[in-house]
Amino acid sequence: MGPLIPNGVIPYEWNNILAILIGIAFGFVLESSGFSSSRKLAGVFYGYDFAVLKVFFTAAVVASIGLYYMDYLGYISVGELYVQPTYLWGAIIGGAVMGVGFVAAGFCPGTAITSVAIGKIDAMVYIVGIMIGVFIFSEFYTLFQPLYEGSYLGNITVVDYFGVNPYIFIFCLTIVALLAFFFTDMIRKKVKKVFY
Amino acid sequence: MKTKKLIAPRYLFLSAILIILAGGLVLIPKFEKHEGISPELLLSNAISPERYISTDELADRYISRDPTILLIDVRDESSFNENTLPNSVNIPLNKLLDENFDAYLNQTAYDVILFSNDSFKANQAWILCNRLGYKNLHVLKGGINEWFSTIINPKEPTENMPKTAFELYSFRKAASMYFGVMYEDQLKIAVPKKTKTTPKLVIPIKKKKKIPTEGGC
Repeated sequence: MGPLIPNGVIPYEWNNILAILIGIAFGFVLESSGFSSSRKLAGVFYGYDFAVLKVFFTAAVVASIGLYYMDYLGYISVGELYVQPTYLWGAIIGGAVMGVGFVAAGFCPGTAITSVAIGKIDAMVYIVGIMIGVFIFSEFYTLFQPLYEGSYLGNITVVDYFGVNPYIFIFCLTIVALLAFFFTDMIRKKVKKVFY
Repeated sequence: MKTKKLIAPRYLFLSAILIILAGGLVLIPKFEKHEGISPELLLSNAISPERYISTDELADRYISRDPTILLIDVRDESSFNENTLPNSVNIPLNKLLDENFDAYLNQTAYDVILFSNDSFKANQAWILCNRLGYKNLHVLKGGINEWFSTIINPKEPTENMPKTAFELYSFRKAASMYFGVMYEDQLKIAVPKKTKTTPKLVIPIKKKKKIPTEGGC
């Protein structure tokens, strides 16, 4: 049956409308769970709040378990899902730059937008910073191009690349996630509480 | 008691659910997943009229020098060397899934036409390639035998046949001539009538001579 749009269960024209609706819901959940606070987001780097780590890890684990159950039951075919292409070094260096920005500002691009929506001034400044970054990147694109388009590995997943059994990989990932939650919680208890 | 303090019971419960679900994925009995296109799609392709291409249509495309056809002979190499259709590529049925031939079959630029002596082996090849999701595959209906009996050696229609049969015959005859068959009536070289040609009248045009300018101010 799934994926719904490529298989024509939902007409292609609904693509953008659904994306907007899902985006609004995502923004609402981000804001309602406190992710529009830069202090909460930065907490993961200072050890007083690991909500970011928990949220992203849980999302990955729950989604992969759910997708593979749906695949098993024939509701969706994992092979037909879109996989983002991997540019290895671009991703590593870009990820590091993004991480520095994350620590410095306390936002990732998505949460900054939700913060702008509730009227936070630091988030607005952050968005201006994003714009400047985008401008610099586009102006010096020829300089960045070999990094941006180099070390292309195709639309691969960890499972495909290393040839591991996806079910065992997901099981291991779940265990790792739970252990990470446990240990980060221990760290959080040791670190001095910050009120925000 | 100590673990209870370390982890709140509600977290313990949620972690247990996650572990059970993930462990379930590992433990559920696996089955061979269907590879290639879905059975429904294969069936609809199989009964689609586009699956077959008739010898007449192929001849027409040959003669109009259609660049989009790609003929693939799925018989073995010895029969391919003996006789085949013009401009065809030999991919024996048992080497069909060979990597070297993948570029011929798995593409969208050409209309692939599979043929064999009749349509039996070509149909097998068609099913195999279709299940892999290859596009634009056709089978020459009746194969080479049909090609010879219709295009190369067309049967003359009898007098009580409809007009369309005669038209088809004249098309096939013309096609066979294109492929090099000679007919008796073709051998009688009609002597072209000599027509008197009037000599072309040539009117000489006198060119005006340029008068050199005289004098001057």
